[in-house]
Amino acid sequence: MNPAPSMPDSLLTQARAGDTDAFAALVRAHQGSVFSIGLRMLNRRDAAEDLAQDVFLQLYRRLADIESQEHLGFWLRRVASNLAIDWLRRLPYTSTQPLDDDMQVASPENPQDPLMDRELARLMNELSPPARAVMLLRYQEDRDLAEIGATLDMPVNTVKSHIKRSLTALRARMIGARLVDCEPRE
Amino acid sequence: MTDELENQLRRALRPVEAPEGFTERLMSRLPVAPAALYTSAPVVVALPVPARRKPRNFALPAALAASLVAAVMLGQHMAYEIETGRQQRELAEGRAASRELMEALRVTSQKLDMAYQAVNSPSRPAAPGEEENPS
Amino acid sequence: MKVLMTAFVFALALSAPAITQAQTRSANPAPLRGQLLLPDFASLSDKASEVVNVTLDQRLLSMGCRFLNVEDPDQAEFKKVCTGLRGIFVRHFTFDKDFAYPKADIDSVRRQLNGPGWSQMVNVRSNKENTNVDVYVLIDGEKAQGLSIIASQPREFTIVNVVGTIDLEQLHDLKNFGVPDLELEKKDAPKKK
Repeated sequence: MNPAPSMPDSLLTQARAGDTDAFAALVRAHQGSVFSIGLRMLNRRDAAEDLAQDVFLQLYRRLADIESQEHLGFWLRRVASNLAIDWLRRLPYTSTQPLDDDMQVASPENPQDPLMDRELARLMNELSPPARAVMLLRYQEDRDLAEIGATLDMPVNTVKSHIKRSLTALRARMIGARLVDCEPRE
Repeated sequence: MTDELENQLRRALRPVEAPEGFTERLMSRLPVAPAALYTSAPVVVALPVPARRKPRNFALPAALAASLVAAVMLGQHMAYEIETGRQQRELAEGRAASRELMEALRVTSQKLDMAYQAVNSPSRPAAPGEEENPS
Repeated sequence: MKVLMTAFVFALALSAPAITQAQTRSANPAPLRGQLLLPDFASLSDKASEVVNVTLDQRLLSMGCRFLNVEDPDQAEFKKVCTGLRGIFVRHFTFDKDFAYPKADIDSVRRQLNGPGWSQMVNVRSNKENTNVDVYVLIDGEKAQGLSIIASQPREFTIVNVVGTIDLEQLHDLKNFGVPDLELEKKDAPKKK
C-alpha cells in the first residue's frame, strides 16, 4: 500500500476552505500511514485508531497552517510519531504486549518469509519509543535521515545512532532466535 | 547482512490499512464549524440588535455588554497568542540551552583531561602542590 | 457611537490582566556563589578563528538540562552531570597567531580565584609546549561546589567556571562522549514524493 499517493494541492485548498469532502479525501490518502505509525508504536489497534483520529482532528484545526501536500505528509508523520511517544510515556500501553493477530499480515510480495516478518515486527516492540519511531520513519515511511531528525526534533547523528543500535540489536535478537541464516534462500 | 535485514524490515513494516469505516467515524467527530473558521483570521463577533421599545434608554447597557463580550474574547485571543508565542520561545531557548550546555561540558571535560594527562605524565612539568607559587 | 467606544475601551481595560499575565518574565538572576566575573572578550571574537562563549545561569541551565534527551545514551551522560549544577560559564578562543589574546584579562580572572573558598587543585606549567592549566575548586564543607579552569596555549585560551555540586570524575568522563559518525548516509533510501 502506498502511504500517500501524490494528490493535487487544490484538494488541500478546498479542504482549507471548509470542503469536508476534500478533507475526507485527504484523510483517506494518509490514514494508512498514520494508523500504521500508531499501531506499531502502541501495539493496539484500538489505541492506534484513537491516535490516528486525534491526529486528523488536530489536522482539521490546523489546516490553515499546512502549505502543501509534502508539508501535510511531514506534519502528519511528525504529529503521529510524537503523539505516540508521548502516549507511551503517559499511558499504560506497554511495549511487551503481544501484537494483535490481524496486524501481522503476511506480505503478498514476499510470501515465503511471514515468520521472519512477524518476528521482526515483534522485536521492534522491544526498542525504546524514540528508537522505534526512528525505525518506523526509516523503514515503514522510507524517510531520509535529515527528515527523520526534523520530524522527531533529533540531531541527524542521533538518528544514525538509533538506527545503528537498533539494527545491531535486531540482528542479535534474530540470530538468537535462529531466524537469520538458518533458512536456505532460493 | 545489514542490507538483507534492512530489506526485511521494509517488507515487515509495510503500512497497513486503517480499519474499515475510519474516515466516516472521523468525519462524524469533526466540529460543526467548518475548518475555515480555524484559520488565524481575526474573529468577528456579530451580535443581534435587540428590538427595543425605547432604544435610547437601553443603548448603553446593550453597547456595554456587546463591547464587554468582544473585548473579553479579544483579550482571551491575545492572551492565547502571547502564551503560544512564549511556549515556542521557551522551546527554542531550551534547545539552544541544551546544545550550549553540552558544548560547555565538553570543553570543560577536555580541559580537565588535559590537566589529568599532564599530572599523570611521567615527565610532568608540574603537579598539584608541587608548584612553587601559583600566582 | 461615542458611548460604544467608551464602553469598549473600558472593557478592554478589564481584559488587560489576562494579557499581562501571559507576559510574565523572570527577573535577572542574582550572581551565584562561586560565579566569577568574566571579562567581555567581545573584541577578541573578530580575531579568533574559533569561539565558544557559553553563559548558562540557573534558569537556562535547568532548562537546557531538562531538554536533554535521556533516551539518547550520549545526552543521558550529560544529563547526569548537569543535574547538580547551578551555572556554567565558558569562554574559549582559538587564534591563527600566537598570543593574540590579552594576558591581563586572564590574570584578572585568576586573581578572583585567590579569594576565600577557592583552592588550587592542579597547576600545570609546560615551558616546552607553552601550556598552562590551572584547576581550582570551591570547597564548601566537604563538597566541591564550584570548579574553575584556566587553560592557555600560544594559540588558544579557555576559561571555565562551573557552579554547583560537581562530580569531577563524571565530568572528566564526558570527554569520551560525543556524537559518533556512523556513516549510514551512504545507504540513504530515495525520498518519496
